[in-house]
Amino acid sequence: MSETDTRRGGGVDPKLLEILVCPLTKAGLRYDADRQELISDQARLAYPIRDGIPIMLIDEARQLADEEIQRR
Amino acid sequence: MQASTDQEKAPFGFREVAASEKHGLVQTLFDGVAQNYDLMNDLMSGGVHRLWKSAMLDWLAPRPGMTLLDVAGGTGDIAFRFQERGGGPVMVCDLTPGMLAVGRDRAIDKGRLTRFAEGGIDWVAGNAEQLPVADRSVDAYTIAFGLRNVTRIDKALAEAFRVLKPGGRFLCLEFSQVVLPVLDKLYDTYSFSVLPALGQYVAKDREAYVYLAESIRTFPPQEDLAARIRAVGFEMVSYRNLSGGIAALHSGWRL
Repeated sequence: MSETDTRRGGGVDPKLLEILVCPLTKAGLRYDADRQELISDQARLAYPIRDGIPIMLIDEARQLADEEIQRR
Repeated sequence: MQASTDQEKAPFGFREVAASEKHGLVQTLFDGVAQNYDLMNDLMSGGVHRLWKSAMLDWLAPRPGMTLLDVAGGTGDIAFRFQERGGGPVMVCDLTPGMLAVGRDRAIDKGRLTRFAEGGIDWVAGNAEQLPVADRSVDAYTIAFGLRNVTRIDKALAEAFRVLKPGGRFLCLEFSQVVLPVLDKLYDTYSFSVLPALGQYVAKDREAYVYLAESIRTFPPQEDLAARIRAVGFEMVSYRNLSGGIAALHSGWRL
């Protein structure tokens, strides 16, 4: 992944993912690189990453369909 | 508007709004002023906000490897200073994506690393009352001129406590109550006449700066805020007045 990609939204910092949690459940998140989303299976929410910035706001999250949820 | 959430009110300047409404209002307001936010801070305070922020960093005493969560610091003012003084990785968490975009672009212009993993600064949109941050994960939490805009202050303070590691430090820089007799009159005139006019000319947004002046007056004074910081579990809570109480710095430790 190029430098520009990581800055502008091509990836999420793995170290950041260690401390970033779902604001609702406080559980860890799953990164979906294709959709540019951070997924909280417990809360059934997908938080968008826009222009490289994770938008961890419940109001802005997408509701997950049943088939999208992964059980751990 | 929902009838159920309308019961709970929150101050938005001198107006009372439904608690559920406040964060949207704050978000809109800061999206509107994001581009001019730092310029306005300089004009409004005659540059003094830089001294206040510097005082905050003095008290925090950053050291290598120290991790910081800076809340409501979208344009990066605190994050950049923290790193210039030798601090470690920073997560900036702000309610308004527009403010974060300004900070992140500025970081890129300055050639700063933008990843937490590399000791850089990461930018995340989040609500201070519902932080997207794991329990006991950072060494320091700062909020500069942000707590005033939070709907439920006590909830934000409890969240600050939750995310700090034991031994972690909480610091809040906020406008406060002027403690000098003559200064308070001058300051009143300045806030309610000069500020909104400046806002109108420079940021083309008078209302945002009327809100600023009003929100300062509805924010709890020094002792009240200290008591509320203690109430969520912080210890060794203390505060310092800056510029005669125009601003105050509150500190607490999670022990």
